[in-house]
Formats: sequence, structure tokens, C-alpha cells
Amino acid sequence: MSDASSTWNPYAPLAASTARALGVGAVLTVLVLWAVLTGFDLVSPNKLPSPWQVAKAFAYLVWDGENQRSLLWNATIWSLGRVFAAGVLVVAIGIPVGVLMGASTRVNAALSPLVDPFRSAPVVALLPIMVMWFGIGEWMKILFLYAGAVVYLIPLVRDAVRAVPQAYWISARDLGATPWECIRLAVLPLAMPRIADAVIVAVSVMWTYITVAEYVNAREGLGQLIQNARRFSAMDQVFAGIIVIIAFALLSYHLMRWIKGRLYPWETRV
Amino acid sequence: MTATDATQVSLDLRDIVQEYPQRDGTGTVRVIDGISLHLERPGIVMLLGPSGCGKSTLLHMMGGVRPIGTKTPTQGEVLIDGVPCHGAHDDVVMVFQRYANRPDLSVRENVAFPFRLKCWRERVPKAEAEQRVDAMIDAVGLGGHRNHLPSQLSGGQNQRVALARALVLRPRILLMDEPFGALDAQTRAEMQTLLVQLYEQNPCLIVFVTHDVTEALTLGDRVLVMSTAPAKIADDFAILEPRPRSSAWQRSTEAVRLEERILDQLHAKSSRRGSVTVSI
Repeated sequence: MSDASSTWNPYAPLAASTARALGVGAVLTVLVLWAVLTGFDLVSPNKLPSPWQVAKAFAYLVWDGENQRSLLWNATIWSLGRVFAAGVLVVAIGIPVGVLMGASTRVNAALSPLVDPFRSAPVVALLPIMVMWFGIGEWMKILFLYAGAVVYLIPLVRDAVRAVPQAYWISARDLGATPWECIRLAVLPLAMPRIADAVIVAVSVMWTYITVAEYVNAREGLGQLIQNARRFSAMDQVFAGIIVIIAFALLSYHLMRWIKGRLYPWETRV
Repeated sequence: MTATDATQVSLDLRDIVQEYPQRDGTGTVRVIDGISLHLERPGIVMLLGPSGCGKSTLLHMMGGVRPIGTKTPTQGEVLIDGVPCHGAHDDVVMVFQRYANRPDLSVRENVAFPFRLKCWRERVPKAEAEQRVDAMIDAVGLGGHRNHLPSQLSGGQNQRVALARALVLRPRILLMDEPFGALDAQTRAEMQTLLVQLYEQNPCLIVFVTHDVTEALTLGDRVLVMSTAPAKIADDFAILEPRPRSSAWQRSTEAVRLEERILDQLHAKSSRRGSVTVSI
């Protein structure tokens, strides 16, 4: 089973059960390592809280019996709302712009210098500017998430459109399609699966920026929760918060992948 | 004038010259050198020549989509029904070797695709379009595959879809760019038989590019043999034998002589190519 030829073979089929076992095994190994490191006081709890401390902090965040409240629920709702609002903006503006850039080499030549460099720009450094422009309210946070994600989405959408083989465009043109019909009826439908992939990437990017977005003047939110915990040196809560963000990012990733598979069942069969 | 108009169609090429800028800089390569042709409907005209000779380029000028960024033709004029033609023509439909079937659409949606375009919605009422699509799917033998995706079909079946999508418009000129070139011999023979059947039901002018001598002799009313570098019409003859052409005829002295005639021509031209290389 695990002879050299099937280990170092990128095309070797892998049973779902084996894949799951390997994945779960790796996570458990890290957890055990973590427990050993902290359990035997090999690392100071101020630097690395033990798994059970994190679990306890998580339980506290989920339900704070003393104050009859769920910090986590509240924070999650706020963060989800911000990601969702920014996501709507990203999709509503990023997809049309990306499609226009993909559909026309001229539009692309004009807009690409305005968009592409920002992929490698330090978006985090934009935060002070965003604060100056949009204040410290809710709009600043949403627009920051939007700016961080849309610079990824636009180039990906453009590339998705340009990746559609020219044969479909030529064929539609030959049948008498107008240039716009070629884009709308022939090229765009074939670009949709990759555009969906781009949206999935953009949402992942927003989850990574949520802590930064909630750095300034946030009263609620997962990022704020982590900031706050850090301020009081509650490392266990910091860890719990990070794990929750990762969990939500993963959940939304798989949800979107599933939706994409339902929307474009033909893609996997090409 | 509509596509259903069953009257004569004429296709004229006048002194067609095609040049491309040379890759390494200043000069130009002449790919097609002064071709003049007069084609009339109905009939199957076979355009035969070695690969890379420019026959596909010539085909695209006959009312198909012209290359983007290059003036095509460099000199000369294409006339359809005596009217100069500068690009994709409404009465001309092309079938490509790589059939360009949409992977996201079912067989039926693929065949019905042209009727989603404004120019065909205006010309053909919806009810008639639906009826034509269904009839054509049956005619190409895909009645049992209406809801299948192209990825679920074989190469030959995919080419049937492409053929149906073209013929559903009842074009007066059908351009075929090595449509059966990628199919195995058995499937190719089936497709040739199908094409002849469909042609008999609804004759139009078919210009068929191939590099397969047998295919030219099986299908053609008229065979044009092209030379290469630059391309000229090297030979032009008619085949009067009615279709479908039996295998007995394929072995007859007449067919064998024609085959030798074509092969001699192709061989003579290709050995005279010298050091000129052409890339399109």
C-alpha cells in the first residue's frame, strides 16, 4: 500500500478513508505535541496556553454564566455581518469590473495598472488611511475588508474570462453573435466556475483580514474579541478566538465549494 | 434574402493574396498567391492540400470569421451573391475540426444555441426554431442523447452535434474545416455517409477542407488541389460519379487515376517547397 511508488506519485489514487485518517492523524499529533509541551511546563503558559485552558476559555466565550451572555455568539454575528456586507460589495463591483477587463484587452490595459499592483500592496498599512477617509465607524471596517478582497477578486475574474478558449468566441461570432452576445452567451457561462473559485478566494481573504478590520474601535466582533483578550494577556482566549475564525473560514469555504459544485456540475466532467 | 431562400448562391474569390509579417522582423511571407475561384450551389467542393498550405485561411475568407489583427485577405475580394463580403456572413456557417460544443450545455441546448442570438431570433419564430432543432437532432441520429452533455458523448457524436448546430440554420454555404480529421477511420466513414444524406435532403454549397485524398474522392463534386508556399490552385476537376460512391467505384480505374493525379500534384508541390517555411 505505502510502497515508494505510491507515496511519491502525484497521480496515485487515494481512498477517502486513508486521506481522512492521515489528516486526522496529523491534527491529533499536533494536539498531543501541544498537550505535552504545555502539560510538562516545557513552555510558559503565558506564551502557549494548554489545550484544556483554551477549551475552558472557549466554553467561557460560548456561555458566560456569570453575566448571562454569549460573547462568542455576539462577536460572531458582528464579524459574519461585516464579512457578508463586504462580500456583497466585492461581488457586486469586483465581478463586473473583472469581466469587463477580461472581455476587452483595451479595458484591461487601462485598468490593470490601477488594480494589479495592489495585490502585493500592504493592505494592512491602508488601515490608517481608511480611518482618515471613512472615520472609525462600521463603514471603515466594511470598506477595508472590501478593499483587501476586491484587489484579489478582480484579477482572478479577469483571468477566468481570458482562460476560456477562443474557439467558443469564434464559433459564436461565426453564428452571427454580436460582440456583447459572444461575451454574455458564450464566454461568460464558461468562465463562471473559475469566477466562483475567485469569490471563494476573496471570502477567505476577508476572513484573514477580519482581525485587522476590527482593530480600530470595534465593540463587537471576533477580531475585537482577540484584541481585547490580548490586551488582558488572556492567551487562552486569543487561541480560542483564532480557532473560531479558522473554523468559520473553513466552514464558509466548504459551503461555497458545495454550492459551486451544484451550480456547475458540468465543470468536473470536462 | 434569408437562409431559407433556396435559390442559387454564388461564391467568388478574386485574386486573393494573403501575406503575413515574418516572425523575425521586416519582411512578409506570401501564403496565398493570387487565387481566383467561382463556386456555385449546390455541390460539395473539396479543398485539398498539404497541411499548412493555407487552405484553412482561404476557407475562413469565404464568409467565416477572419483572423483578428491581420488584414485578410491582403489583396483581392470575396463576393457572395456578387456582394463583397468582409467577415462572418449570415448565410454562411462553419463546422470546425474541434467542434466547439459547449461543455455546459446539453446536446439540445447546443443545437438550439444559435437561436438564442438576436439575429436568428429575429429571423426564425420560436416555434419553428424548436421544431427545426428537434428534427435536426433526430436527423443526425442523436435523438436518444438530447439531454446529455458533450463530455458524455464520443468524438463522432460531438461532431454530429456541431453539424446539427450548423445545419439547423439552413445555411446556403456550409464551410467545413477538416471536420472529421480527428476521428478514427470507421467513425469518419459514418460521418461522411451522414453528411451526404443530410446534403441530399437539403442541398447547399459545401466547401470542405481536407488533407485526406480518399475523403475528397468520396464526397466531392469538384476537387480543388492546392499547392503550398505560396498556395495556388494546382488542379481543379469534377467527379461525376453519383453519391453514395460504392467501394467498387473507389477501386475503379477512374478513382485510382484521380487518386494518383492528386498524389502526384501534392508530391510534386511539396518536393518543390525548397527552404521556404511557412507558419500560420
